Amino acid sequence: MKRSPEADPSRPARAGRRARGRRGGADRSAATGNPLLAVRLPAWRSRMLLFALFCGFVALAGRAFYLQGGVSTGFLQRQGEARYARTLDVPATRGTITDRNGVVLASSVPARGVWAIPDDVDASKQGVAQLAQLLNLPPTELRHRLAADDRNFVYLKRQVDPDVAQRIESFNIAGVHTSREFRRLYPEGSITAQLLGFTDVEDRGQDGIELAFERTLAGRSGLRRLVKDRLGRAVEDDWLREPIEGRDVRLSIDNRIQYIAFAALRAAVEANRAEGGSIVVLDAASGEILALTNWPSFDPARRDHMEPERLRNRAVTDTFEPGSTIKPFSIATALEAGVVTPSTPIDTSPGWIRIGGRTITDTSSHGLLSVEQVLAKSSNVGTAKIALQLPAQNLWDTLTAVGFGQAPHAGLSGAVTGRLRPPGTWREIEQATIAYGYGVSVSLLQLARAYLVFARDGDIVPVSVMRAEAQAPAVPVLRPQTARAVRRMLELAASDEGTAARARVPGYQVAGKTGTARKLRDGHYSDAYISSFVGFAPASGARVVIAVMIDDPQGGRYFGGEVAAPVFSQVAAGALRALQVAPEAQALALASGEAAANAR
Amino acid sequence: MPTRVIVAVLAALLMASALSLITAQHRARDLFADLEAAQQLARTSEAEGNRLRIELGRASQPAAIEAAARQLGMRPIDPDHTALLPPAARSARP
Repeated sequence: MKRSPEADPSRPARAGRRARGRRGGADRSAATGNPLLAVRLPAWRSRMLLFALFCGFVALAGRAFYLQGGVSTGFLQRQGEARYARTLDVPATRGTITDRNGVVLASSVPARGVWAIPDDVDASKQGVAQLAQLLNLPPTELRHRLAADDRNFVYLKRQVDPDVAQRIESFNIAGVHTSREFRRLYPEGSITAQLLGFTDVEDRGQDGIELAFERTLAGRSGLRRLVKDRLGRAVEDDWLREPIEGRDVRLSIDNRIQYIAFAALRAAVEANRAEGGSIVVLDAASGEILALTNWPSFDPARRDHMEPERLRNRAVTDTFEPGSTIKPFSIATALEAGVVTPSTPIDTSPGWIRIGGRTITDTSSHGLLSVEQVLAKSSNVGTAKIALQLPAQNLWDTLTAVGFGQAPHAGLSGAVTGRLRPPGTWREIEQATIAYGYGVSVSLLQLARAYLVFARDGDIVPVSVMRAEAQAPAVPVLRPQTARAVRRMLELAASDEGTAARARVPGYQVAGKTGTARKLRDGHYSDAYISSFVGFAPASGARVVIAVMIDDPQGGRYFGGEVAAPVFSQVAAGALRALQVAPEAQALALASGEAAANAR
Repeated sequence: MPTRVIVAVLAALLMASALSLITAQHRARDLFADLEAAQQLARTSEAEGNRLRIELGRASQPAAIEAAARQLGMRPIDPDHTALLPPAARSARP
């Protein structure tokens, strides 16, 4: 690159002087002795080099600032973080459902989902066979899933036991991975099945309490950034989003009473070869649901056995025409209006009556009855005669006040309103039939709640499936003396004189009413019956209201007094024992007298 | 001279502070790792506790108790085999 100074002949002397002064070029030229051979470097070249170096450093500094100083930091930081930081999804545990005493009814436990990337799986036949055995899958099925080439993610099995998942991990099969998830367990199984409902594989509520209280139970998963050291230990963390744990739900259910009701119901449905049945047990003081059970039921642990027919919470979602169990409300309305007194005589002979071209019949002719006996004997004719003395509006007011025609706000999903037409549309015959329970439809839960009026001296409280801390205000419906009068009639009905002698519970006075109604099928009355019994115990100072419904008993008996009343007796006896209600003195004296007589 | 001494002292302090910062950070990370391990233990213990509560629920199920009672030859109460005694009779018992 050397250029001869002659290349620039106009300024040789000056350049030469400068070069000599600075770099001692004169010594060299002096040594050679030939000025033509003296190398003179022009000063601008070194300056140029210096400037180029400077520019290079400025560019480096600029680049460094660009990358580190906050202008474009994304890429490098991502790359750096990827080597030590990890963002984890922290799942929130779903809340536990307990009964009123804290017994666990539903709870989530950790489980693992086993998944695979089919392309990566290169398991020997032995490995696949082992995996299939651990996952409890047929090997052909497993191979079929792993052969799905068009997908790059496939679940092999979900909700696997953590111990099994650990053994699978220990095989170290390439392409097979596990992920954290939860499994929902229901210790009571089919006993609480429809009440609690169930969750899907993602642990989201699908039915029952699980669905109704989804927002309370579910919680929200968190996001957490972790910095790991060379050993893989977490050394720093940063919550991007704190997880919100699911909250627990405490129900008003008593698992002992729930079991007693379930066992009695199942036995009764099977003995009567019935289509199904339900039982509702309410706490008379607070309106809390102590038990709510249906048969047929299902086992929430066995998804393959879930048929829609078994999933339904019949006591809440199904309506039926209540039949005679509605009569006490008609009689109470008449007493309240002052139309009759408990001892007013009503002539029910000859056991039938024609109203508007339709005939209402009794099972047999009872002759002259008092109002009290009309209820005890469950006379349709007598009830119709009493109801026809009332304005339709009065009867409608009572039935509405006790909750018919409105869905109970019990916190249960799928609660139905039932049917109660406005009184302006009632014809005379309809007023008569509604008075004894045809032409209205109710759910068993509504019916049980309505009887709180008689169990509680004329007022009513909302029903609830949640453990209530504060008492909801009671709404008065009937005068206390009216409620007490009807209660005496219901005691009579559940005695030897009435239709429900088999509802009696040794040691306690009970009160209640039977119902036997023809079942509506496709809008027509069929040969099938619905047998029911609604009652409470002890009759004075009631602790529990129990409603029993048996759908289509085919064992030869179908009267409520024969089919449903014995179930009431069993459940009431068990519930009173579970609640530690002392036997009543009067009933006790009677029972001990009998015992003494037996002993003799 | 005093300026140089001050600079030297400050430099020494700076070094000491830098070293202590690193030590503190190291200790913080160690402690965090311990905390993390303890929290993991707490989580597994809680899951285990949950599982045991479920197990307890299963074992104390009325159905399970009834089955066990039947194995012991016990049977449900029925009215024919129930004797109800008035409270006075209880106190008269020996």
